[in-house]
Amino acid sequence: MSENIKEQPDPEKNTTSRRDFLKLAGALAGAAGLAQIALSTMTASASSGGEEGKGPKWGMLIDINLCIGCQYCTFSCEAVNNLADDMRYCVVTTETTQSGKEFFLSRPCMHCDEAPCVHVCPVKATYKRPDGIVAMDYDLCIGCRYCQVACPYDARVFNWKEPIERSPQSPDFGLQEVPNRPRGVVEKCTFCSHRIDPGLKRGLIPGIDPQATPACVVACPTHARLFGDLSDPESSISVALAESKTTLRLREELSTEPRVYYIPPQTANRFQGS
Amino acid sequence: MQSTIHFPKLRFGNKYIDIFPYWISFLVLGFLFGLVGAFIVLRDGLQVTGLSNRVPWGLWISIDLSSISLGGSAFAFGVIVYLLRLKRFEIVGKLAVLLGFLGYSTAGMVLLFDLGQPLRFWHPIVYWQAHSLLWEITMCVILYLTVLVAELIPIIVELPFFESHPWHEKYPIVKTIVDFAKMVAHWLHKAGPVLAIIGLSLSLLHQASLGATYSVLYGRGVWFNQSAPTQFVFSAMSGGTALLFFLSTFVFRVMRPGLVKDDVLYDVARIAGGLTLLLTYLRVWDWAVTNYYSFDRNISLQTQALNAIAPYSMGFWLGQALLPVIAGSLLISAKSVKNFRYLMAASVIPVFAAILTRWNYNFAGLIAHSTYDPYTPVIRLNSYTPTWVEFAVATLVISYWLLTFSVAARYLPFQSKHEEH
Repeated sequence: MSENIKEQPDPEKNTTSRRDFLKLAGALAGAAGLAQIALSTMTASASSGGEEGKGPKWGMLIDINLCIGCQYCTFSCEAVNNLADDMRYCVVTTETTQSGKEFFLSRPCMHCDEAPCVHVCPVKATYKRPDGIVAMDYDLCIGCRYCQVACPYDARVFNWKEPIERSPQSPDFGLQEVPNRPRGVVEKCTFCSHRIDPGLKRGLIPGIDPQATPACVVACPTHARLFGDLSDPESSISVALAESKTTLRLREELSTEPRVYYIPPQTANRFQGS
Repeated sequence: MQSTIHFPKLRFGNKYIDIFPYWISFLVLGFLFGLVGAFIVLRDGLQVTGLSNRVPWGLWISIDLSSISLGGSAFAFGVIVYLLRLKRFEIVGKLAVLLGFLGYSTAGMVLLFDLGQPLRFWHPIVYWQAHSLLWEITMCVILYLTVLVAELIPIIVELPFFESHPWHEKYPIVKTIVDFAKMVAHWLHKAGPVLAIIGLSLSLLHQASLGATYSVLYGRGVWFNQSAPTQFVFSAMSGGTALLFFLSTFVFRVMRPGLVKDDVLYDVARIAGGLTLLLTYLRVWDWAVTNYYSFDRNISLQTQALNAIAPYSMGFWLGQALLPVIAGSLLISAKSVKNFRYLMAASVIPVFAAILTRWNYNFAGLIAHSTYDPYTPVIRLNSYTPTWVEFAVATLVISYWLLTFSVAARYLPFQSKHEEH
């Protein structure tokens, strides 16, 4: 009797483990399927970057030596995008070189090639356009603000409040050109893609024709800003970049590959050269 | 055989008063107060918080991270009970599942308020961005919460209500629902091992990803740390298991004496202690790697700036190194200590350490932030003070956690009637 009892658990055990094995196999097959789906989306999203495609690659060059700190770039950007003063996309600050000389640093969105904000957005609301502009789909944004935390340049602003009726800089620096964004989404500089896209259709050249050029570039009274196609060696920005002895990009050590270049202040050049 | 349940009582003169109704009323009040805050946030948006473009993540994200970490015992005990088949942990394992569910549902709840567009909470499920750690976390949390519900249903179905109740005869619809729930519970119970495997994968994935959420942000200095994912996993296991020990002692030893043997509780304490010591070992090596072997100017400046406003480094050595070593050593030698008061006191420290890690991670990189200017970047100190609305929503979710736990601790049948199979 006792032997019977002792023997009984064994076949029971075998069936359980076989069943378990089948369950495990099922779970693994399911996991493999999920991984497959995930992989296919990952490759799809990687190729949707459009980096390989031909066409213009927009970039900006800011000559720090020409900047007088008037903030016209900031104000015109506010007017065109209908921004309140605490929602500025483009910020001008006073900084110093190592030798203590002051200079003005105007900072739009860097439109990085390896944009941290694009990598972290959980819903693809921020994406890289084939022409290099880091754009946003305000209908997708859930307002998690991970992009804001990830941006090393503080270039993103969150809509804490309802959109304002009229920017304090309007109409002095221009009129609103883009629709308002709802409360609760993050927003950012678009390189005025709303001017570039229709401008190209009309045969205009961004960087040359004001109607197709970002507002900050047009508004700059000292022409410190140049905008244009970095992939075209003939474009004014490419020529200027080739001519300038040194250029600078902000926080290059982070490998974000910004598309906004600076011509460093001459005092800084002298300091570095000496 | 149902063991008798003892409720905590307070003595006033020669009267013993069951504090349960008062405790529940207190929590319900907290919950109602929180609902006011929740309503204001949903109506007026995040402008009612103390958050800003400089510090976009605050109190709620920290609560979210902490509550997820404290649900960390669920996956560890899912494996112990279902895969390693250690039957003696089965009852404690049920409490672990409950804690997991509470941790994750609390996190989901508080995140909902933290979204700028709460109605778009479902977007990550539809609009996939598989590169984003936050996307992966969202998916894992949703799936894992489903797994936890699936693990919880068989436990809830053990309630006497599902066995027999006058309503079954009175309202046929109740009977139908009960029968259906029983059938579902039966299948879910059988699927236990599969659920345990899925749960383990999902929770390991996203506990690690929560660390990576911060550590991939190379622009933020102190956050950029390759061991953060590992640390988050181990700190969730250590803090979660320590909390499980604390609450099991309360639920099983105080309220249901005899249901779980003291030896089992000692073992839970030993697991928590072992994990805490392992975590502390990892943390000290991590400190050495980031501060000693690879000097980073930015991190050093950030640490200096943080030390200027708070006992930052001391907090690490005390809260993450010294106290956890003492607590871990005490817990791992539970069988020699054999004093539940000391052990419970010790188990508070890993819980505290897990929370401290999350709060440090959330705030260090935001409060001390490097500027982007090219020649003389400095560490800028940002400030953030939560508003009363933020505290109200925090009260809401914490009340929810305590309320559900208290009700479950009193009514949930941890003892299965189907022990035999």
